[in-house]
Amino acid sequence: MAESRLAFPPCAGPVLDRPKILLVDDRWENLLATEKVLRPLEADIFKAASGNEALSLVLRHAFAIVLLDVQMPDMDGFETALLMQEHESMAGVPIIFVTALSKEEKYASKAAEIGAVDYIFKPINPDILKSKVKVYLDLHVQRAQIMRLNATLSQSNEELERFAYICSHDMQEPVRMMNAFAGLLAESAEDRLDDDSRRYLSFILDNARRMQKMIGDILTFSRIGREEITLETVDCEEILSEILSEFDDTIRKTQAEVTYSRLPCLETSSTLVRILFQNLIGNALKFQDGDHPPVIAIAAEQRGKFWRFAVKDNGIGIDDSFRTRIFTIFQRLHRKENYPGTGIGLSTCRKFVQLCGGDIDFTSVPGQGSTFHFTLPA
Amino acid sequence: MKPFQILLVEDNEGDVEMTLRAFKTAEPPCSLTVAHDGVHALEILRPEQGGTPDSKVHPPQLILLDINMPRMDGKELLEVVKSDARLRHIPVVMFTSSESPNDIRECYERHASCYVVKPFNGKKYAQALHEVVNFWSTTSRLPN
Repeated sequence: MAESRLAFPPCAGPVLDRPKILLVDDRWENLLATEKVLRPLEADIFKAASGNEALSLVLRHAFAIVLLDVQMPDMDGFETALLMQEHESMAGVPIIFVTALSKEEKYASKAAEIGAVDYIFKPINPDILKSKVKVYLDLHVQRAQIMRLNATLSQSNEELERFAYICSHDMQEPVRMMNAFAGLLAESAEDRLDDDSRRYLSFILDNARRMQKMIGDILTFSRIGREEITLETVDCEEILSEILSEFDDTIRKTQAEVTYSRLPCLETSSTLVRILFQNLIGNALKFQDGDHPPVIAIAAEQRGKFWRFAVKDNGIGIDDSFRTRIFTIFQRLHRKENYPGTGIGLSTCRKFVQLCGGDIDFTSVPGQGSTFHFTLPA
Repeated sequence: MKPFQILLVEDNEGDVEMTLRAFKTAEPPCSLTVAHDGVHALEILRPEQGGTPDSKVHPPQLILLDINMPRMDGKELLEVVKSDARLRHIPVVMFTSSESPNDIRECYERHASCYVVKPFNGKKYAQALHEVVNFWSTTSRLPN
């Protein structure tokens, strides 16, 4: 079933076309001369004898460079350039003015205003013309390559995310079956099993539960960005107290002391605030050495356009060398036996909070505790 | 008392087994017919259209419907049932592994009566089925 929902479009984009150069000049002999100079370059050359002709070519072709004569009857070079730039295929395309006019400053600045990147004076020096055009051609080719690479990357990224989503979604069913039937077996064959067999069954059950937790976490992670984020007025304090009641058992068992100051109401995603508090408070309670009860303080303050939240604990702390690693998916800093977890929580927090215009970071003194900060737009 | 007639549409043998187990102890007693996908379910629901009338449940009082199935999935079957004048009065309870908000919304948009995520824990699985059946058979009134 999964295959039918996974579409793999052909991978690479089209082969890079030869770049196109547009020459615009009202005098045919000038066009031919320029063309002759540029012919050795790896490019196709198009010629237009007027501004109007140039505009109609721009409609049909995506050019890498335009060489534009300034002095033309009817529509001059400046006017042509302005009209050309209204066309979207001209975005970012360098226009080089070719002019016999005096090298007066005012033309230079007018050209620059219009967005010309360069200009060349007549009579043209063929070597200078050729080398200038070559520089812009090379830039164009590099830019096209980067854009193609980006498109390929974002496509494979999308495919990977879709793959993770479908995989984890479809894995829920088999893992639920393993857990259910191992559970049934443990129950119905209890008296007939020896100690080893019972232990093996409990390994199966433990691992099924762990796998289910991982699948659930991966699903949450991959849903961010796939599903629309609903912004609403969120009472952060109300959500915090809901989350704290979910941790009631742990808080009582560990005799944790949890305090918080007034938290704001923000225009944001309630799912995001929930995920942040769930993970940060869960971590603050979990990463403790067990020698003293956890002390956790939650606070928020407004800083310009952002609210900055802090979740502070007195836990084992994080060495600064793990700064990047800690927010990377599946990266764990401890053995599962000591501190269970899937290595997905903080990466989910970061992905989500950044998508909502905020960020997350931490400060820590190993052995004394950590403070996680996150920001949300006010 | 006549047993409560349920059509279970489910392709996973494990789930069929779990559901049959759960209904062994259900109150009131239930009679379960199993279809393995949407196409099979329609054959049972529309015996007059050349399907095999292999069920004593024509029509069932409740449909328990999985989403991911071959040939015709749960959402497609739901749409067919709800646009068939002779079938659309039957409550359809979605019973699936998917917790996807999209799946939940799409099922209600297609007029599912309710949406239940299959609990991971075996005991809770049976308990959820008992609650569903108890609600539809006892708490609520159904036509005829």
